[in-house]
Amino acid sequence: MNLAKYREDLKETRRLVVKIGTSSLSYSNGRLNFSRIEKFAYVLSTIRKKGIEVILVSSGAIGIGAGRLGMLEKPVGLAQKQALAAIGQAELIKIYQKFFGNHGQVVAQVLLTKDVVTLPSRHQNARGTLNRLLEMDIIPIINENDTISTYEIEFGDNDTLSAIVAELLDAELLVMLSDIDGLYSADPKIESGATIIPAVSEITPEIEKLANGAGSVFSTGGMKTKLAAARICSKAGIDMVIANGSTPDVIFEILKGKDVGTHFIPSKINMINKI
Amino acid sequence: MMGMTNKLFRIVVRIEIATLLNRDGKLDRKKMDRLVMILSNLRNSGKHILVVTSGAIALGTEKMKLDNQPNTLIEMQTVAAIGQADLIRLYQNFFDEYNQIVAQVLLTSDIMENEARVENARNTFNTLLDMNIIPIINENDPVSSTDIELEDNYPLALKVAKIAWAHAILIKCDSYSKFVLLVKGVKKALVAEDEKKLFEIIDELSENNMHIADAGVEFPDSIEAII
Repeated sequence: MNLAKYREDLKETRRLVVKIGTSSLSYSNGRLNFSRIEKFAYVLSTIRKKGIEVILVSSGAIGIGAGRLGMLEKPVGLAQKQALAAIGQAELIKIYQKFFGNHGQVVAQVLLTKDVVTLPSRHQNARGTLNRLLEMDIIPIINENDTISTYEIEFGDNDTLSAIVAELLDAELLVMLSDIDGLYSADPKIESGATIIPAVSEITPEIEKLANGAGSVFSTGGMKTKLAAARICSKAGIDMVIANGSTPDVIFEILKGKDVGTHFIPSKINMINKI
Repeated sequence: MMGMTNKLFRIVVRIEIATLLNRDGKLDRKKMDRLVMILSNLRNSGKHILVVTSGAIALGTEKMKLDNQPNTLIEMQTVAAIGQADLIRLYQNFFDEYNQIVAQVLLTSDIMENEARVENARNTFNTLLDMNIIPIINENDPVSSTDIELEDNYPLALKVAKIAWAHAILIKCDSYSKFVLLVKGVKKALVAEDEKKLFEIIDELSENNMHIADAGVEFPDSIEAII
């Protein structure tokens, strides 16, 4: 089966969710990479100007909070993480505002808790607010409301949150950026011949096994949570691409239908339903 | 969380952004600066403060150059999502001049109904205060279904006081006129005519009357009668 042809579909994207992981926003010491964020702001503003609606799900609050306080070690414990998130989220949104503002792009901050999925009233409110923001040409920047969530218990991670947001807003594509290039055929640290799988049409047990592979190559968020997100997207008929966020231009490439990262093709039944 | 935190006098400061605007609806920067200086001083003199502020809708309205403040729920939620980012930046910038770090905490209106959420929020507040950080609190309007950033944000201040086990709520802090303080365990509101008097009152409470927090008289549900 030729899966490459499905890449062409991505050119038609009208509503895009981009998830940026902490690793794509900061240096390995946890400090912010401002030029990277500036580049993301440029890329996403440009895409918005082309008429594609953009929703950004951004991690990074806890790391930025730690940086703001000059902490050298990774925070431990729920309360400390929540406190750092409260400091860091304020910093993060300020930086996004500044860089997006340079391109005349207005952003808004929306913090979600899991109620958005479980409580119908909140579901509707969040959807209503986000849709209205998109109508007003604004880019909503979404994160989990860490300070009141039972962190790591609710959404668990922003990979899952981004898929839930994509589903909530009927997006056509979720682009998930972190420090990994895509799903590898084997652990590239062990097997030199490991290659990136360009497309996945079904999340089979073999694919899951790849995600469970040992080695930090699968990075901070981990491939497991990305597969969980892919499953949500697949069911909802949403395309998903995992790619490396070290070059923000990669989003342009994906929207041109180019073969970068790993493309998770939604299950066909849902694709037909969507039409 | 039994460190220094519990020994310090805890004050919830209620700020209505409308009281900080000048006649043409723009922020009175001098007034804002004065207020932030007083609050930074309170913090530096060894009290813990938690700031409850409105203003997301007002700032969002200004940013989007809307003629009137929105009046439907969805418009208010949308404008609040835009304005909250500006609101927190405003506090960041002003507090930064006095070497204070702030954090943003957004609470949903129904938080008191969820014990786990209350516990999480309390832990977050305690940790922030232990770290000498000033929490800036507002309602999480974009997802709340009711009570959107009420004209009167006292109900939110009251919730925060309950969650954080605060000793007092500064319900009016107009640096150009007077200060009104509600103290747990004291029925009558305390009024200070100026900054100096405010600090005297708070210092006295902080030094001598810490036990009053257990005296059984709760903060009033409404402050209409007081203000």
